[in-house]
Amino acid sequence: MLWYKGWLETRFRLVFVLAVVAFTFFVQSYGGSKIEARAVIFSAGISVWLICVFLAAAGIVTQQNLQAAKGLHGSTLFTLTLPVSRFRLLAVRAGLGWLEMAGGIGGLCCLLWFLFPVIRGRTTPREMVEYAAVLIVCGSAFYCITVLLATFLDDLWRVWGSFLCYGAIWWLAYKIPAPASVNIFLAMGDGSPVLAHTMPWTAMAFALGLAAALFFAAFKVAQHREY
Amino acid sequence: MTDFIIETSQLTKSFKGHPALQGVDLQVPVGSIFGFLGRNGAGKTTTIKTLIGLLRPDSGSASVFGIPVEDENRSVDIRRRIGFVTEDKELYPYMTVEQIIRFTRPFFPKWRDDLERRYLRMFELPLAKKIPDLSKGMRSKLMLLLAIARGAELLILDEPTDGLDPAATEDVLRELVAVAASEGTTMFFSSHQLSEVELIADHIGIIDLGRMIVAGSLDDMKARYQRITVVFGDNAFGDLVKTPARWVEGVESVREEGRMVSILASHNVEAIVEQARSIPGAAVERFPVTLKEIFLEHVRRN
Repeated sequence: MLWYKGWLETRFRLVFVLAVVAFTFFVQSYGGSKIEARAVIFSAGISVWLICVFLAAAGIVTQQNLQAAKGLHGSTLFTLTLPVSRFRLLAVRAGLGWLEMAGGIGGLCCLLWFLFPVIRGRTTPREMVEYAAVLIVCGSAFYCITVLLATFLDDLWRVWGSFLCYGAIWWLAYKIPAPASVNIFLAMGDGSPVLAHTMPWTAMAFALGLAAALFFAAFKVAQHREY
Repeated sequence: MTDFIIETSQLTKSFKGHPALQGVDLQVPVGSIFGFLGRNGAGKTTTIKTLIGLLRPDSGSASVFGIPVEDENRSVDIRRRIGFVTEDKELYPYMTVEQIIRFTRPFFPKWRDDLERRYLRMFELPLAKKIPDLSKGMRSKLMLLLAIARGAELLILDEPTDGLDPAATEDVLRELVAVAASEGTTMFFSSHQLSEVELIADHIGIIDLGRMIVAGSLDDMKARYQRITVVFGDNAFGDLVKTPARWVEGVESVREEGRMVSILASHNVEAIVEQARSIPGAAVERFPVTLKEIFLEHVRRN
């Protein structure tokens, strides 16, 4: 039933985010043959950020906590007094958002395939599926950053905080002399199956490890939080 | 299991250096209706939140059903066996009455369909209506349904009648007493409404400034506490009677009202009356006291 509750809480935001992303690509697709594949893939990366931020920010249980402290959202107390562990509360909400993110990225890849001849021309359907998998795995790291922020920031700050974190990590990724093979941004762009025609396994493994560490940190924060 | 469904010992909790609970000792007998009284900010809600595992005590101990509340895994068991009504009566605004019942039911293996049907009918709750469209009275009744139908052994109610009109208050109180009587459910409820606590509670605890200042059976308390008035023929009764320390043990307060001195005694009433009668020219009478008088006396003194 927590899944059901989560769905009721997030469905409108999901539709809104997907509509914004779809609209953006429809507008971009009017560029026709002048559009370069690299530009499309860059836009897709930005869209993954958008999807991650708004879906992860949409309903982690702690979102309501801060509001409850201000007397705005007393229903949080009702949730927290259900016979459910903090881990399960967090896992269900994060899991639901992750599924929505994966669905959104799947839809995004379909859009790219159908709207942009430049993508169809240089990519096989198999590579497009692989590209979707890369975006989902690498996007999980970004998603978990927002999940972590959502355990102690309120709704507005977790959105801006997430974008600031993503930007900071992007800047660091190109400033720190780390191996290109673990660069998640590269894996989602120039190193992706669409542009490089290979799977960035190392970056994907790094992204998964980072996501797991961030989720564990989010759980620890939620577990020790008082309401 | 002990005779107490809730037990705390020297429970302390502070927020950013401000003490909210300062060594609270509380014992709620199994099967009782326990009225938990205190002014705003006295520590009622902090105590309740600690009992249901939303806050962790700084020191001391607390247990519900004999299960320590500090144990996060086992506090799930506590929450499975309690029903809780929050002070603000807020529920998910995007659900209807039917949806919130359908949502809550699976979490509680002892959910009582018969009680659900009974209270739906009795409270005339509209199944298809969204929760924000319900009046506060209706939301209170819905929360009560959700708390009672889960087959709870303990109901923790934070201001259950706050914001209700007199008719709705009457309905809710009547049902609480009926549930306690028919299901043997223990009730622990906080309230500012002393008259309603006096009406339904059999045990009370008064908390002030984070300390339990009075606790026990209401009947015992009312039997022990008495007001004694001493009327004099003139005002010349001197400092003797106005000073509590000059009286035998048991005098809580002495108030001067013209030619009369009003004494609140917490125990040892016979000896106090005897002492009053020994004063020349004094006419002595004794009266039962209300819970309100006991509450105000202790809170003011504290």
